[in-house]
Amino acid sequence: MAFDKMELKDIEVWDGNFAAAQALRQCQIDVVAAYPITPSTPIVEGYAKFLSDNYIEGEFVMVESEHAAMSGCIGAAAAGGRVATATSSQGFALMVETLYQASGMRLPIVLNVVNRALASPLNVNGDHSDMYLGRDSGWIQIDAYCPQDAYDLNFIAFKVSEDHDIRLPAMVHQDGFMTSHTAQGVHTLSDDVAYNFVGNYKPMNDMLDFEHPVTHGVQTEEDWHFEHKARQHNDLMTKVLPKIQEAFDDFEKLSGRKYNIVEEYDTKDADVCVVCLGSSVETAREVALEMRAKGIKAGVVGIRVIRPFPFEQVRDALKDIKSIAALDRSSPNGAAGMLFNEIAGALFNTDTKALLSGYVYGLGGRDLTKAHLVDLFKELQANVDAGKVTTPLQQFIGVRGPKLSYL
Amino acid sequence: MAKKGWDEFEIGAMLRSFDGKIDDIAGTRQEDRDYSENSSYTASVADWRLIKPVFNKDYCIDCQFCWVYCPDVSIISRDKKMIGIDMDHCKGCGICVEVCPTNPKSLLMFPEQEEEEAAIASWPAKNEEK
Amino acid sequence: MSEMKKIKNLKEFSTSADRFEGANLLCPGCAHSIIVREVLNATNDDLVLSASTGCLEVCTAVYPYTSWDASWIHIGFENGSTAVAGAEAMYKALKTKGRLKQPDRNPKFVSFAGDGASYDIGFQWISGCMERGHNMMHIVLDNEVYANTGGQRSSSTPIGASATTSPAGRISYGEKRNKKDMVSIMASHHIPYSAQVSPNKWKDMVKKIQHGFAVDGPVFINAASPCTTEWKFDPKDTMTIADLATDSLVFPLYEIIDGRELNITYRPKNIVPVEDYLAAQGRFKHLFKDQYKYLIKEWQERIDDNWAYLQRREEAKV
Repeated sequence: MAFDKMELKDIEVWDGNFAAAQALRQCQIDVVAAYPITPSTPIVEGYAKFLSDNYIEGEFVMVESEHAAMSGCIGAAAAGGRVATATSSQGFALMVETLYQASGMRLPIVLNVVNRALASPLNVNGDHSDMYLGRDSGWIQIDAYCPQDAYDLNFIAFKVSEDHDIRLPAMVHQDGFMTSHTAQGVHTLSDDVAYNFVGNYKPMNDMLDFEHPVTHGVQTEEDWHFEHKARQHNDLMTKVLPKIQEAFDDFEKLSGRKYNIVEEYDTKDADVCVVCLGSSVETAREVALEMRAKGIKAGVVGIRVIRPFPFEQVRDALKDIKSIAALDRSSPNGAAGMLFNEIAGALFNTDTKALLSGYVYGLGGRDLTKAHLVDLFKELQANVDAGKVTTPLQQFIGVRGPKLSYL
Repeated sequence: MAKKGWDEFEIGAMLRSFDGKIDDIAGTRQEDRDYSENSSYTASVADWRLIKPVFNKDYCIDCQFCWVYCPDVSIISRDKKMIGIDMDHCKGCGICVEVCPTNPKSLLMFPEQEEEEAAIASWPAKNEEK
Repeated sequence: MSEMKKIKNLKEFSTSADRFEGANLLCPGCAHSIIVREVLNATNDDLVLSASTGCLEVCTAVYPYTSWDASWIHIGFENGSTAVAGAEAMYKALKTKGRLKQPDRNPKFVSFAGDGASYDIGFQWISGCMERGHNMMHIVLDNEVYANTGGQRSSSTPIGASATTSPAGRISYGEKRNKKDMVSIMASHHIPYSAQVSPNKWKDMVKKIQHGFAVDGPVFINAASPCTTEWKFDPKDTMTIADLATDSLVFPLYEIIDGRELNITYRPKNIVPVEDYLAAQGRFKHLFKDQYKYLIKEWQERIDDNWAYLQRREEAKV
């Protein structure tokens, strides 16, 4: 190999963006086609800089829009090699058409999504609107809560996405600014160990194999379309989670860091539980511990894999909980909220007597404070005590003006 | 290809033009290629035609205008000679007849049902006005 | 660098083994496939192709059939050029890294798109591909209309053509604006080669495609593609219409080297009146009504003016 390896300290102080960029370097991405957007830009800038400094070999294609970024990634992935990019918010929204095309063509691409609000009004800060926008696009979606996760989960994403039994693109999510721009200690893998975990790229149906010409991106109408969509859904429903679990297990052996499809914190004896995503998981954990000191048996569930949605794992994690709060960081705009809906769907038809209430919080980067969570856990405990939900089923947290609640 | 169930085909709606490996496509004639069942070469659009071209080799000068301007790869030329028409792929557009420079033309359109022998027998004589 | 395929004459050209197949679903008499055949047969090198959404794409890759004997991809309406650019970037990366399966090949990267997918919705993507210097060729199958969706005007539709969204009527002569000069726009990206071609002039086409394959960098080709369905002429007349287009100079054939030097590559011996070109197509039928006949005169003046401009540019070498 003609490029230089990088000596990393066991623990580096990296923000989420740089952690992701380092993971891309260590995975030796062949092609990055990208377009800048706050707050994800430093990820692809990182790749470009590593390329300029000969820490990687590959092609960086700085295109003219996010739509073109994913289009270039699709062409590159179909050609047969390791492909990644990053985006956020409006850029993600512009990409949406191509997200469905990438997954429908079963092309392994890793997209780092640094979560940010969607306009209008324009906002550069973190919420989960973009993440939620992608949830029916046929991609695998994995969620990082901190820079360490952002680093580790990129390796997981490549390993799963490129597996010939899977061949589905994967998003690694992290919270805009809160994770992407907050430097923390990140335990590193050496270049060789990291690359060997992901392994060499194994081409499949590659356009650059001229002895086996291939047609990608065909038209299917009513006589074939349904079967192809069904195949993709089947593989998402049946193959992806076992493969992710396998990758988590292998990664634990390698690094000592254990990831779970659904992360459970103190749920075994908990009466009340918050279910959330992203950096809020860490805040909720801290508050839950404080609540326990005050006599409320609080737990936290973090959804690590958003798509495919881990129904069984969520069901198991919540089966003995008495009062559950689903925290959605995206305006449902006329519905209950993604997590509320999925959790309700997972628990319905089970023996649970759990009470479920929904909270909408943190839009456009509004802080979720510990005080908010203290009140929330108290409400959940009140539900347990009353044996029924004592609040409206949907409440907004942290918004100015008269209390907003529905349902 | 039979209408297979959702679990019976390649992922990604990917199609292969050939069965197995092919070394040099541009150097391999159609008759020597191992087309897959997914190549449209194995399909037919003969039923699109209302009229069909008939080739009369007596007048052909092998200029290859019909070959180069055929939209449907249906003029079969081998070793610089026009040897016939691929009636599975000809849609009956009639471009080959229009571009044929001989007098009389070496290709003419006839009703789809017309027998080739009858068509050749009714071939017009040289047009002296041209 | 691979050796350029030798094509001295049509007989020699006819020994090509096509990599585009029949029983595709294009209309009888469609010029798209004639252009595609001439392009693909201009080289023996391997091909990585794309088609943007449009007639060519929806008629040649309808599951479970493909008409392509080369690597081929379609993503969407606007981004076929970028699909090929991505594949070309991967080729470069794998070449650098020594991971090509067949390292001795010299693949050519070509994207096909209609005028809608090139002049309009895919404009930005193509501009990006040209500006970034990918070693690829973008070919517009220019039938001056959204044929696949049933005949809506595009920014390539010429003045006076009746299209479904600019229909001729009692008080309208149809399309009001002149066609965008896409070749000049693309040449202004300082790409090594851009050219206008027409399938009736196969030798000119092959020469330009081969030149385009030989240069290093992005190449833009605008190909006249007479559309039997939307231009409203008999399918047998596709090449007749193409002859009228090139010989009336409505569709002049030229090339621009390095975004500067313009060479006219075809000078008709007998220049045909523009009126003959217009009269042969149903889309211009209404122009022959008394109220719109002045437009035919304007057409001729515009074409004369453009021809004079091209000749001035050629002489000036700028």
